[in-house]
Amino acid sequence: MARMKFFCDAERCIECNGCVTACKNANEVPWGINRRRVVTLNDGEPGERSLSVACMHCSDAPCQAVCPVDCFYQTEDGLVLHDKDICIGCGYCFYACPFGAPQFPSEGAFGSRGKMDKCTFCAGGPEETASAEEQRKYGANRLAEGKLPACAEMCATKALLAGDADEVADIYRERVAYRGAVGMATGWGVGYGKPGIRSNTIDLTGKAAGRD
Amino acid sequence: MSKHRRYRRALRWSLLLLALVLVLPLVPYAVAAGGTQFNTPGVELWDAVRARVQGPMRTQVEGVQSNQLINYWGDQWRLFRSQLLVPIGAVMLLAMLGIITVFYLVRGRIEIEGGRSGVLVPRFSVNQRVVHWLAATVFIVLGLTGLVLLYGRYVLVPLLGPEGFGVTASACKEMHNLFGPLFPVAILAIMFSFGRGNSFRGIDFQWFLKAGGLFGHAMADSGYYNGGQKTWFWLTVLFGIAMSVTGLILVFPNFGQGREAMAVAHVIHGVVAVGFITASLGHIYIGTLGMEGAAESMTNGYVDAAWAKEHHNLWYAEMERAGMVGVSPNTMEEVKRHDDRDFRGFGQPLGRREPLDPTVSPPNRGPTGGGISPAATPSAPKEST
Repeated sequence: MARMKFFCDAERCIECNGCVTACKNANEVPWGINRRRVVTLNDGEPGERSLSVACMHCSDAPCQAVCPVDCFYQTEDGLVLHDKDICIGCGYCFYACPFGAPQFPSEGAFGSRGKMDKCTFCAGGPEETASAEEQRKYGANRLAEGKLPACAEMCATKALLAGDADEVADIYRERVAYRGAVGMATGWGVGYGKPGIRSNTIDLTGKAAGRD
Repeated sequence: MSKHRRYRRALRWSLLLLALVLVLPLVPYAVAAGGTQFNTPGVELWDAVRARVQGPMRTQVEGVQSNQLINYWGDQWRLFRSQLLVPIGAVMLLAMLGIITVFYLVRGRIEIEGGRSGVLVPRFSVNQRVVHWLAATVFIVLGLTGLVLLYGRYVLVPLLGPEGFGVTASACKEMHNLFGPLFPVAILAIMFSFGRGNSFRGIDFQWFLKAGGLFGHAMADSGYYNGGQKTWFWLTVLFGIAMSVTGLILVFPNFGQGREAMAVAHVIHGVVAVGFITASLGHIYIGTLGMEGAAESMTNGYVDAAWAKEHHNLWYAEMERAGMVGVSPNTMEEVKRHDDRDFRGFGQPLGRREPLDPTVSPPNRGPTGGGISPAATPSAPKEST
């Protein structure tokens, strides 16, 4: 079975926040909730890098481990989803998550947290697929329609990759090989490479040879 | 001789040649390993990210710590909760229940040895009792809802199913959040109502040495409060303050205090809560099931003279001297009069009592008819044992 993953190529991300906007539009998330965000390191300095971050759908998810009501589940695609009917909005997943993915609408007494909301990999939730209820609680279920998450499909520079982990890895490996940074997945200064460098690259997949 | 020397020289030279042949090809590798520098600025950046020491970060998305790429302490907090708090807390609570059960089976209920005298001594004023039950109610609600949130996943989810427990847990969380801010008020009231007479004295250490007379039948000397009660009072104050401060940090996420502050507050909140609940089990046991004649001091405010003599002998002597033994709360007015007295008189430790005003007539010392009266109507005005 496929295992779905996000990957953000920091050499390509230009911090346009198109993924954030696409996510909001596709999932119609409540005001104040951002399932995805772009974090820029060393903003405005030479060598700045940006990364688009959302739920990374961990294989061994800390949120799932720490949830006091056990509302998380993993799909066959390896997606970490949760049931909003069970969630009590305690915030423990937010303390535990390495990526700050869980978001909480402020509702109830003393501005306490409402039901947690996070990236679903555009795969909806436990409600009936494509139902109005699913759309209202969890947003789009693009995966059921055979589409990838809106953020990745919208990405103008194709920095944000989403899909089956093996394919994402293949695409990225090809890029790394193209950049000529053998043995270094990240860190080459040029995202798109220079003309002429290509002939020297080792094509690990065999896919790049015929394309231009 | 010279032939032999020539042979040795040839051997030496061929060995040297062999060594050179073996070592020389390694030289470029050694140079490369020590001296190669890739011109890759990104490497330092990602090393810094991995070491959690990256420079300034920015994001256009507003939110609590949304500019932070990786949560520093989340995993430590998760390990603390799942590997320390949950198992050790369970062991502590179950061990306390086990100790109490064993104690009950071995020692049984601690009864008034001479039997009830039927003579009453006023012990806690209406205000003290109201404060006690306010704090007790809030404490029990918070303790039970908190335990449901801590152990529900392991105990209640198998019973109720995830959906059923979701409803229970949601109600518990709301009650915990709504009752929580009352707890600091209750703790402050406890401090003011029970603070007097709760400072430790020399006799308290003797009381501890005798373990409060829990084992055997020799009672330890005790004033208005004994060493155990004083310990419980100070535990309540210290634990109560810790619970209140950390609880307020956790209950108002809208101030954006961030994950680290809330995780630290949660650690303290959890550790102190487990200790507090464990200690409270002992207090609840000895105040109700474990000791005859103790609970009524907090229900109607009066204790039996025989109980007072056995458990708080110094206080009893003091009350006897003050003419407060054998009074009866027959009417509401009478109860109120006692309560007015409380704030002038009883409850003070030995040696600090103001001399009684002889012009104020002592409270009713005999059986009078009518009004509310506790189960044991005083039959004798003086102590009868």
